[in-house]
Amino acid sequence: MKVVKEREEVENEFPPPEASWDAGDLGCGELVLGLFVRIKKITPGGIFRVIIQDPAAPEDMPAWCRMTGHKLVGATHPEYLIQRKEK
Amino acid sequence: MPGKFCVSLSAAKDNTDKATVAFVIANAAVASDKETIVFLSVEGVRLAVKNYADGIHEEGFAPLNDLMANFAAAGGKIYTCSPCFKRRGLDEKNLIAGAVIVGGAKLVEFLSDGSPCVSY
Repeated sequence: MKVVKEREEVENEFPPPEASWDAGDLGCGELVLGLFVRIKKITPGGIFRVIIQDPAAPEDMPAWCRMTGHKLVGATHPEYLIQRKEK
Repeated sequence: MPGKFCVSLSAAKDNTDKATVAFVIANAAVASDKETIVFLSVEGVRLAVKNYADGIHEEGFAPLNDLMANFAAAGGKIYTCSPCFKRRGLDEKNLIAGAVIVGGAKLVEFLSDGSPCVSY
């Protein structure tokens, strides 16, 4: 079952991103702490777009979203679209 | 996904690579909604003193001061081993944000309900 959607599907199904962040080469704890701080500013249910060059991102982003309850709705490395959880 | 996470760190300027990576992992844990502590022991307790980490900046990572400050700002706690701190003659009135001097009971309590712990 395909869980993460392609960009075109996301655009059709979800509102446009409220904010974007170019995380550059950040990875590991520095990356997710940056996400942790920034996604709090997104409206619950809103979409946050992040560009991540770190090669670990395809593994780390799904794991981080599973732990935090946010929803990874798009993942076409290096672009990730995360829907903020409701609470 | 609630839960706890502990990072145990026994190094400071004697191994700045370990000290840096420990706080990077701690930041990953606190940013993943884990109740997170860094447990400083042995030489690691020196990191709990303000300005000690000035200038520690491993290539490829943020400066250690920034990593520690960000960890504390995100709600992380830095448990600092009391006997290790005292035997080095360090100043308990000059601690960094998030640091608290603890004895073994505090660490054991935190870990005793099954918290994972990674050590550096």
